[in-house]
Amino acid sequence: MEQVIRTGKKNASLIEVFVVFFKLGSISFGGGYAMVPLIENEVVEKKKWIAQETAVDIIAVAGSLPGAIGLNAAALVGYSIAGIPGTLVAILGNLSPCVLIVLSLSVIFQQFSTEPSVQAAFSGIRPAVIALIAYAAYTTGKMSIHNNACRAIAILAFCAMMIAPMYIVLIIVSGALTGIFLDKYKCYLSKR
Amino acid sequence: MEMLIKIFWVFAKLSLFSFGGGFVMVPAAIAEIEANHWATAAELTNSVAIATMAPGPVGVNLAVGLGYQVGGLPGAGAAFLGITLPTTILVVFVALFFFKIYKHPLASAAFYGLRPTITGIILYAAISLALKNGILFAANDRMLDSGINVIFNGWHFFEVKSLVITAATFFLLTKNKLTPLVLILISGIIGIMVF
Repeated sequence: MEQVIRTGKKNASLIEVFVVFFKLGSISFGGGYAMVPLIENEVVEKKKWIAQETAVDIIAVAGSLPGAIGLNAAALVGYSIAGIPGTLVAILGNLSPCVLIVLSLSVIFQQFSTEPSVQAAFSGIRPAVIALIAYAAYTTGKMSIHNNACRAIAILAFCAMMIAPMYIVLIIVSGALTGIFLDKYKCYLSKR
Repeated sequence: MEMLIKIFWVFAKLSLFSFGGGFVMVPAAIAEIEANHWATAAELTNSVAIATMAPGPVGVNLAVGLGYQVGGLPGAGAAFLGITLPTTILVVFVALFFFKIYKHPLASAAFYGLRPTITGIILYAAISLALKNGILFAANDRMLDSGINVIFNGWHFFEVKSLVITAATFFLLTKNKLTPLVLILISGIIGIMVF
């Protein structure tokens, strides 16, 4: 049990951590990897709270955990600066601006949702959202599909979801198990 | 109270299956939201739009927006806790003990299968929202009245305006010039003009 996250200079007060992540949270449109360069700039270069190599490790781990990458990264950075209180402060700071904005947008939208022009605007927005989601599939596919086995897994997962979307958990777990199985099989083949 | 606990559980469950960014949560959200009769597909798609328009992680924004829609401010609070608490606990655990797990061969083998699965599942989210929003193969009650519907032999095939917006947005995304926020604002303006 090696604790790989090295703590940086502990010269940061919790208020300062909150302020920095509040700032990061209010400018990180698009979420996810959009926040990574901002974190590096603010936390590594300006504040020098953590080392560059720690930041790289943190981003790799943040991406492979469930949940929002930006948020996971904030939590891990907060932890390496000031332990568990640092984690909580970083998460709260990172999320308060967007939660406030989403709530205001939702309230405004509910107020005006029966207006014909608002409905027309959303008729235009919905197809764009579908494109955003399709693009997310395109980019994850480009990153993860290198051969026919991967292609088959993706197609099977798609078909399984079309038939039985309620079993998404089972579908995801089977995908992971297939990966482990294929990996074992590959080792077996290469040993012969 | 029972409702709030339900909202908390649904989003806690969703949070654990949102590997690699907010849009991955959409397919799981479709299934859960429909099973609980919390929102229509159109309302869900609107919430995704609002979630993308605000800064911050799309998944958290989506949870807060949907939580608000289902249960007002307390609902938003319950959804927020649901979507953040499990992953926060997990992240802290990783920070404390298991930082090396992600480098373990078994974990990378699992990810080898997990990532294509996720790809297929997100693709499902896009297609199923297109089906449910009257863009592709719409049933009679889902057709867009203000759209140009291509119908052949009584079968709805697609709606031209929406499909053009989807294709154009996708193309612009691959060019990497415009952010999702800008694209949503533009498509909103186009929507007002054409629908």
